[in-house]
Amino acid sequence: MAINRFTTMAYSEADEMVFGNAKKPVKAGLDLEIGAGYTTAEVNYAPRPEAGESMEKLVNEYQRITKDIMARMVQVGFPSVVLETEHVQQMTNNPSWGAAVAHAQKTIMEEYHEEYGIKCALRHTPGDIREHKEFMELRGDKMTTVMESFEQIAESGADLLSIESMGGKEIFDYAVLRNDVPGMLYAIGCLGTMDMEYLWQEIAGVAQKKGVTAAGDTDCAQANTAMFIAGGLLDKNLAHTLAILARAISAPRSLAAYEAGAVGPGKDCGYENIIVKAISGMPMSFEGKTSTCAHSDVMGNLIMQCCDLWSNESVEYHGEFGGTTVQCWSESLNYDCALMNTALKSGNEKILRDLLMASDRFRDPQSYVLAYDNAYTVGEAIVKDADDVFLRAKNAAVACCDLLNNAEGLEMTKFELGALEKATAELDAITSESETFMSECMERFKKEVPVFKPENYAL
Amino acid sequence: MLIVDKEGILIRYNVKMEKSMTPEEAAAELYPKEELYRPIAEAIFEGEEDDVVEGLEAAIAAGKDPIALIDDALMVGMKVVTDLYDQGVIFLPNVMMSADAMLDGIDFCKTQSNEAPVQKGKVVCMVAEGDVHDIGKSIVAALLRANGYEVIDLGRDVPSAEALAAVKEHEPIMMTGTALMTTTMYAFKEVNDLLVESGITMPFACGGGAVNQDFVSTYSLGVYGEEAADAPKMADAILAGADIAALREKFHQH
Repeated sequence: MAINRFTTMAYSEADEMVFGNAKKPVKAGLDLEIGAGYTTAEVNYAPRPEAGESMEKLVNEYQRITKDIMARMVQVGFPSVVLETEHVQQMTNNPSWGAAVAHAQKTIMEEYHEEYGIKCALRHTPGDIREHKEFMELRGDKMTTVMESFEQIAESGADLLSIESMGGKEIFDYAVLRNDVPGMLYAIGCLGTMDMEYLWQEIAGVAQKKGVTAAGDTDCAQANTAMFIAGGLLDKNLAHTLAILARAISAPRSLAAYEAGAVGPGKDCGYENIIVKAISGMPMSFEGKTSTCAHSDVMGNLIMQCCDLWSNESVEYHGEFGGTTVQCWSESLNYDCALMNTALKSGNEKILRDLLMASDRFRDPQSYVLAYDNAYTVGEAIVKDADDVFLRAKNAAVACCDLLNNAEGLEMTKFELGALEKATAELDAITSESETFMSECMERFKKEVPVFKPENYAL
Repeated sequence: MLIVDKEGILIRYNVKMEKSMTPEEAAAELYPKEELYRPIAEAIFEGEEDDVVEGLEAAIAAGKDPIALIDDALMVGMKVVTDLYDQGVIFLPNVMMSADAMLDGIDFCKTQSNEAPVQKGKVVCMVAEGDVHDIGKSIVAALLRANGYEVIDLGRDVPSAEALAAVKEHEPIMMTGTALMTTTMYAFKEVNDLLVESGITMPFACGGGAVNQDFVSTYSLGVYGEEAADAPKMADAILAGADIAALREKFHQH
């Protein structure tokens, strides 16, 4: 697959973006269309740890999960649902295990679709197992296993193919703990994008061959690491202004999947997806207030503002008072979708979008920048230099800093402002020459990060 | 577009509660008074490795013992940093950069003497088998080193037998285990059982990602750490005589 850069915004203005509508809707699975005028819940789950002991136990566990979700959908009268299975490592390392799970799940979904007409699709997300104990090994035998996993799940019933890839993480983990803005830019914006292009051309090729959908990625390994380390308002591990800087840089990195042949819906935990949607016009999955079963964030309402799929991130399968966890969370997600779909049908979608956005806009620097109007601004900075991977990532970072430096109504601590000031100055001092930046970073990080292997990026 | 005043909708408690003193002002009150030590402590606070070594060279030239400087200057400077971190005045990246500078300083002191420095105690750090997410372990290890402990870092994806062998070899006061995923954290139980079978009663402090207090409480050596910053506090408590029951009493908050 060729790389096709996005050089313009998919939307003529930010206000054009709403939930449930994407410029380029995606048909997938059993009569489902994503981003075509309605929102759909995307239910995520993890098997109980003891289920990983054998393939049979895992298949049984996922059958129970799938039946539970589909049954609850019908019991409460919801018209559509997406199920996402994020592989436990055994399922990717043994591609036949992942295939067996996909087949078992899809069989159940087909039965419900046939009997009740419920629109549904199955997303499978193999683990990014491309590493050994000491080093990442992004190219080689592990890559072969990952691609074999994609092939087998696509043959066995998975409609949407995704992965949470980890390119650049070895540098990012080092940089984020040292407030190292150039390092974050190199890790996410440059190395991350390079790996995405390599990986997603292959995944898109499999999807095309098997007649399924190359859906999308997320910068979970880096931008979410920053968000989780930053934590809540009173945590003292990372300035929230730096966490959103990592997020802004992650947008061009996650965009690379769609430039390499993916078509959406993007992965749920990619909070950068709002920027990606503004640029690509492709449908995106999001998570927020309904993913508190997995983690906290500071934008639970806002991030719902332009979703096409609405997810709960992940929940371990077990019993709760209201049923199993997947039943409880799928029901919550779908009630949110029912509200959004009512707004869409009654012409009130922009009002609801704005209420969601306004309720969190000033909660945090992260929510402020990811408000759809500001996200659009970051997107414009990215497409301005679309063909230069480094420069567009730097542009995203600079745009993020500009938005925060000129923010009205957002209160920040002296610490957050100090980190912002330092980041702004560091970005200002970084060259605009891609080759210079790349070679300087290469030399520096080869010395400072022993686990950095340039050959992972064909460098 | 709808913009609504945040009053009554949200409160940024971090802004509301922010201390008036800057980190630099707070640090200035804690630096050692001794004129040869103070520049070293300041350089550690700033995370400037070269300045740390320069300060050490000056102190050694003035007759100070290189090994004594580790405790008298480097650790004192690092304590300024960890105290301010505990007080919420500075953030984790400052601690990481200061720890890097301190470790460079210790390495320099070692090259200037034939004696070996005495540390507070050994701690083995590991990531659960099957888990390659090690940023939590890196934070724990850095904070332990910053507090004067020798860290035996086993890295990520550590087989249980390897963890046992390391504990037998190094006889640490504690081992830490981190894991991101529910699927890998079960390796901690296996490690615990191997340790117990070998008659080892050392605390096994676990945390990270999906790890929770209920789970860690199910194995006999387990002590749950909610924050990476709990690790040096646990080690200090162990040196002060705390057993597993006392550690659980102190650190299990839920």
